[in-house]
Order: sequence, then structure tokens, then C-alpha cells
Amino acid sequence: MTDTAIEIREFLTVALRRPVEPDEDYFALGLADSLFALELVVFVEERFGIRIEVEDLELDNFRTAERIAALVAGKHGGPAAGDETGAGRAARG
Amino acid sequence: MVTTSPGGAPAPLAVRAAAWHLPEHRVPVGELAEREGLDRERRTVLAGLGIDTVAVDTGLGATAMAERACRGALARAGVAAQDLGALVVVESRAPETLISSEVTRLQARLGADRALAFGVGGLGCVSLGPALLAARGLLAADPDLHHVLVAHASTPATPGRYRHPVTVNGDAGQALLLARTGPVRILDLVQETNGAHWDLFRVDYRDRPWEQWREECRDLPGYSFRLAVETRNRLAALLAGLLKRHGLDRADVAGYASQNLSAGGLRFLEESLDVELLPECRENLARYGHLGPNDVLLNLWTALANRRLAEGDRVVLVNVSPVAAWNLLLVEIGPWESTA
Repeated sequence: MTDTAIEIREFLTVALRRPVEPDEDYFALGLADSLFALELVVFVEERFGIRIEVEDLELDNFRTAERIAALVAGKHGGPAAGDETGAGRAARG
Repeated sequence: MVTTSPGGAPAPLAVRAAAWHLPEHRVPVGELAEREGLDRERRTVLAGLGIDTVAVDTGLGATAMAERACRGALARAGVAAQDLGALVVVESRAPETLISSEVTRLQARLGADRALAFGVGGLGCVSLGPALLAARGLLAADPDLHHVLVAHASTPATPGRYRHPVTVNGDAGQALLLARTGPVRILDLVQETNGAHWDLFRVDYRDRPWEQWREECRDLPGYSFRLAVETRNRLAALLAGLLKRHGLDRADVAGYASQNLSAGGLRFLEESLDVELLPECRENLARYGHLGPNDVLLNLWTALANRRLAEGDRVVLVNVSPVAAWNLLLVEIGPWESTA
């Protein structure tokens, strides 16, 4: 598991108040509401220095910690997650 | 003083008088008959919506509720129904009969014989927006037209009132008498839609008796996630553009009001826009439930009656519909006498 996925999993575990596995679909489990969605997206944007646009909002991008990490990696322009200390943060200024 | 873009200010539009018919009969959410048929999860969500009671019409019907509100607004303004230039009805989500006209039915009951009468709709709560745009256009286009009455009666489309996991629908009639001047000036209105969500919530009806009509969500995770985040992005951009167009910033806005869906929905909007909603939103939510397109101005009028706002204050009203549509109104409070 990448560093990014680990951080996201930690966030999910706190936000959903239960342990979340890296590949666990918490939407399918009925654990997510709109407030949680907002918190999740704000967390991902602020922590990894990216902007989630409407076209990124396919649920499949957010179903699991691993998939969010892949989205973050894609936003940073590379296939691997976990290097968020570089371009993403620089982009935030 | 509002500074507008080089294109100039939108044509003048103001609410000269407003009135609501709010049924006195209110049913505690815990006593709704449909609650018995809900599973444990749905009961938990229902109990956490921030709605204590819902306003329930005990027999008037939609047109009569709208008529009562219309008569109230006309009386407050001292305007006769025969002198109305136009009557715009925000149509019901599920009219009592098909083919017939809710609009001309209300026109006949009011005696607004000379009014240009038509209906608007299709955008759920946001259908208030097209009604106001139509009124503004009519007032701008015809100098001999002085008053447009916008009316709506909100009542559930189905036998049940609970829309899982969103809200509980109440009953109410609303009437807004619009003119070029009035105590609440509508400075601007911005609106966007995304048809990708057109049937996110729907009621199938052609193959079943009315008792079996249900509001169904096609994609609950999609509602809770994609539409939620899209709503944040859309509203934030619309608000920034609206304020910029008038040379305003956040500090120039005295308050925000939204429609009343749930306590979580109100908190979601507050976090999305980084604002605090007027407390009347939560109070009316708890008291009446969701009243569709009637919520935002009822909340504003309640705040005015509570003297929470003063002359010169600007307020942003937020309406969102899962069809999906987003609408912001920028209003300015003028000299105020309570007409609520």
C-alpha cells in the first residue's frame, strides 16, 4: 500500500468511525452521506494539493482508499501514489 | 450602492408582498403512518433529519392552498386580482389531474381574468427561479404591466412524505406579488442545470395505483457523493460570479438562506460555501419540513419578521434540486414593514 493510500485509509477510519480496509467499498456498505463526501473531497484536495473537478467525480474514483490514491497519483501526473510532497503542494502555492 | 458589471444592472424586480398558507395541523415525524413500513436504517435517518413536525393539509388541496396565499399577498399590497398583469404558477410535481390546467384553475378562483397566465416547472425547488425570471422579463418588456403574481402549492407527489435519505415533505401555499419596486429587491438570479441527474429521484406511476407510488432514488451513492460534490463546486462558482458581477465580496452579504431539506443538508451547504445560514432555516425545517420552492423566501420573510435583517442588507438565497439544478438569488432589503 502506498503512503497516500495509508493516509487516506487513516482519514476514512476516523471519518467513518470504523476500520476501513484499503480495498473496502465503503459506499457499497452504505457508510457514506453527502457530508462525509464533502469532508473526504476537502481532505484529499487539501492534503494532496489537488482540485477535484466535476469530471473527477465518478464514484469509482472514490470507492476505496486505493482508488483515491490512484486518482491522486494521476492528478500529480504519475502512475505511482505517495509522492504528494512535490508537484501537488507546489501547485497550491 | 450596488456596482454592476459593464453590461448594466438586470431589469428591476422586487417582491412587493408575500404570503403563505401554512396548515395549522402539524404531524410529528415520529407519528407518520409510513414510518411503520420503514426498516431500521431508514427510521434512523428519518429521526436525524432535524424535522420535528411537518405541516399537513387536511383537505384543502393544492389549488386552494395557493389561492389562500394569493389572496393574502394581494390583500397586503392592496391590489385587486382583476388588476394583475400576469399569474405565473410553479406547477405541482404531481397534479391532481392530467391534461387539465392548474394555472387557469387558480386564475378562475382568484378572478384574475385579465392576467396573462401560465405555468413553469421541471426543476423541483429550483422552479422558483424560472418563475422569477419570467416575472422579471414580463415587467421589463411591458411598461403597462405592473404586477406579476407567482404562486405555488407544495405537497408530496406520493402518499408518503419521507424521501429517503433527503427530507420529509410538508404542505404549504406561497404567493409572491412581484413588481418593479418593493421591500425586497431581487438584484440578480443565477442558475445552472446538469441533465445527467434528470431522474436521480423519480416516481413511477403508469403501471400502479396511487397507493403504491414511491419516491425512489436511482443511485444513492451517486446522490451522496457525485451530486454532493458537484453541488459544492457549482454553488461556490456561482456565488463567486454573482458577487463579482455586483462588485461585492463576502463581507457585503448580511446573511444566507437556503431551502430546508435536513439538518445535515443545511450543514452541508454551510461547509460547502463556508457561510452560516440564517437560523430561521433550521427553525422552519423543524416546524414544517420541506416545502419545496416555498422554503427560501419563507425563511427570508421569517428572518425579516424576527428583525434579524435591516434596510440595505443583502442576502443570498440558495436553492438546489437533484434534477439537477442550482440557483442563487441576490436580494436587498428595502424599507421594511412586516407583511409575513
